Amino acid sequence: MNIIKERLKNGIITENATFVQVLGMCPTLAVTTSAKNGLGMGLAATAVLICSNVVISLVRKLIPSKIRIPAFIVIIATFVTLIEFLLEGYVPALYASLGLFIPLIVVNCIILGRAEAYASKNSVWASLFDGLGAGLGFTLSLTTIGIIRELLGTGKIFNRPIMPASFEPALIMIMAPGAFFTLGILMAILNKYRFRNAKN
Amino acid sequence: MNEIFKMGLILCAITLLAGFSLGSVYEITKEPIAEQKQKAQQVAMQAVLKKAERFEMTDQAMDETQEVKEIQIGYQGDQIVGYVMKVVTKGYGGEIEMMVGMDQDGVIEGIKILRHAETPGLGAKAQEQTFCDQYANKSAEQELWVTKSTPTTEQEIEALTGATITTNAVTEGVNTALKMFEEKIK
Repeated sequence: MNIIKERLKNGIITENATFVQVLGMCPTLAVTTSAKNGLGMGLAATAVLICSNVVISLVRKLIPSKIRIPAFIVIIATFVTLIEFLLEGYVPALYASLGLFIPLIVVNCIILGRAEAYASKNSVWASLFDGLGAGLGFTLSLTTIGIIRELLGTGKIFNRPIMPASFEPALIMIMAPGAFFTLGILMAILNKYRFRNAKN
Repeated sequence: MNEIFKMGLILCAITLLAGFSLGSVYEITKEPIAEQKQKAQQVAMQAVLKKAERFEMTDQAMDETQEVKEIQIGYQGDQIVGYVMKVVTKGYGGEIEMMVGMDQDGVIEGIKILRHAETPGLGAKAQEQTFCDQYANKSAEQELWVTKSTPTTEQEIEALTGATITTNAVTEGVNTALKMFEEKIK
């Protein structure tokens, strides 16, 4: 029980991929134009993280350390493609909204990062929850950024109007610069709390 | 030497296994994927040409233009009630793919944007119903053009704020479809 809690907390807070480790910046900046996109990308990455962590942990003793990176990449890419096929064939509605992000998951370094840093050294059970924790942390960060950008950029959250009609949406927030603004400010605020003793 | 051989063998086994599982899942999902695509296309065609009961693809008059990708004839019973064309034009952020539905006289019933890469909040608004509805009931007799103010004549389309290029691209696509109708089908 302890390991589950510990891994989840580690993934979501202590080693939050986006705000603490600053991994996976490419999808973070590119797809967070709305809350729904952020959530979708996060959940798709979580699914791949769990699968790849489990498999890599299962075969960790069979793979010599010199070729572990190519082996991990093959395993991750295979899972991503399998999930893409399955979604496209059987859950078309989900595929229609996620389709664009699925190939992006292959280049998401969080997944390789977890495989390398955790799954290749720990048991299957612990790796599963490590994947879940890291995935949920990523999902939470992306959804938060998405909510802020969507709210300021269009006046809506999850496509529902929130702001009063007089609110003039700041379009720049859903364009590329808005991603940098939001990420930078959120990271600064979080770091302020993380390093309470820091000056300035 | 021995070590290299062993590592190569392991990598080979992993890729073989990956290739095998990819191949088998591809085979299993091939049918459902094709079916889903077919269904999505059917829904889009139905949306732009409501009165048609079934569609039949035609390759008549296809090869001369690159922009019209597909012409489907809509039937109600045995009677032709209209045409649906899949058109690709160049927008601000890349290609815009859309469906243009028209009745047998070349009057537009509806248009639908299938795929685009326009700026969110600006050009992406071209997907919205209120914008697409502007094209309904326009006819093939005269070319459409874009205006930045409120349209005063039948053939004018009001540009999306901040997205004139997108509006131009969509209008050009509709014009291409209308021209195709005038020249080849009528």
